[in-house]
Amino acid sequence: MEDTKPAVVLLVEDDPGDQKLVKYALRFQQHQSNLQIVGTGEEAIEYLRQCKKGDESTPRPDIILLDLNMPGMGGKKFLQNIKADDELSTIPVVVVSTSDEKQDIEESYKLHAAGYVQKSDNLDKLRRIIQKLTQYWFATSMLVKK
Amino acid sequence: MNEFEPVVILLVEDDVGDQKLIKQSFRSEHIANEFRISDTTEGAIKYLERSKAGHKDCPMPDLILLDLNMPGLEGKELLKVVKTDPELDIIPVVILTTSDSERDIIDSFKLQAAGYVKKPVTLEDFQQVVTDLTNYWFVICKHIEHDKDMKNDRNLCIVN
Repeated sequence: MEDTKPAVVLLVEDDPGDQKLVKYALRFQQHQSNLQIVGTGEEAIEYLRQCKKGDESTPRPDIILLDLNMPGMGGKKFLQNIKADDELSTIPVVVVSTSDEKQDIEESYKLHAAGYVQKSDNLDKLRRIIQKLTQYWFATSMLVKK
Repeated sequence: MNEFEPVVILLVEDDVGDQKLIKQSFRSEHIANEFRISDTTEGAIKYLERSKAGHKDCPMPDLILLDLNMPGLEGKELLKVVKTDPELDIIPVVILTTSDSERDIIDSFKLQAAGYVKKPVTLEDFQQVVTDLTNYWFVICKHIEHDKDMKNDRNLCIVN
């Protein structure tokens, strides 16, 4: 992707501390991103509904970073939802979770997650993880541009 | 991912030069890897059928690298097969192709490719792509350990 426009990242994460960590980790990357944050799966669905309408305040995400354990519908249900939607199914969803349980990993890939990364609460570590993640999605892989 | 078990990559690519280049670029990375190569979509489907049946010479791949333009069935058909088979759908499939047509990109992501990489032209860029792929899939991403016993057989299985 050689676009000069920053990539839009939608972070679906209920923990304010983790939201901040991801925000900081993204800030110091070579690839600029426009980070949008929502706190639940329901809010993410509402965000994407607005996006489909073409609302400029809710730009279409290039990728989605998804926490699994959230109040309400939770990450997996959200993943299932978005992958069943013809217009949204092309957006890669990367699970970013504290869990490294086999069942969570397996179910996420089955629901077509495009990666499963374990969260770190250490900012340096997280920054290195996000560096590899952004390098893959924003430099190596091409994405669907709308 | 278990550091002592090499990761298994199924490369579906009909160009012999590209096969070599990809394999060699992965050899320079610090993650131990084993390649299984098929030069047709049909061959890859046969390989995966053998993986499912538990044949030791065809271990389940941790990652599939898929070219789109191949003689016979096109690459997208393999993506369809993998992503609709409950025994195979957890395997990430990354497209590695010369095409950068918007149609191919959209179709691939619709079929749930886990990345779409345009083959770089220079050797240096090729190595960079392979480093990025390795860092993402084998350093930061978590995987399901496939049946370990199956990986003990190191016989190279090339399906045509």
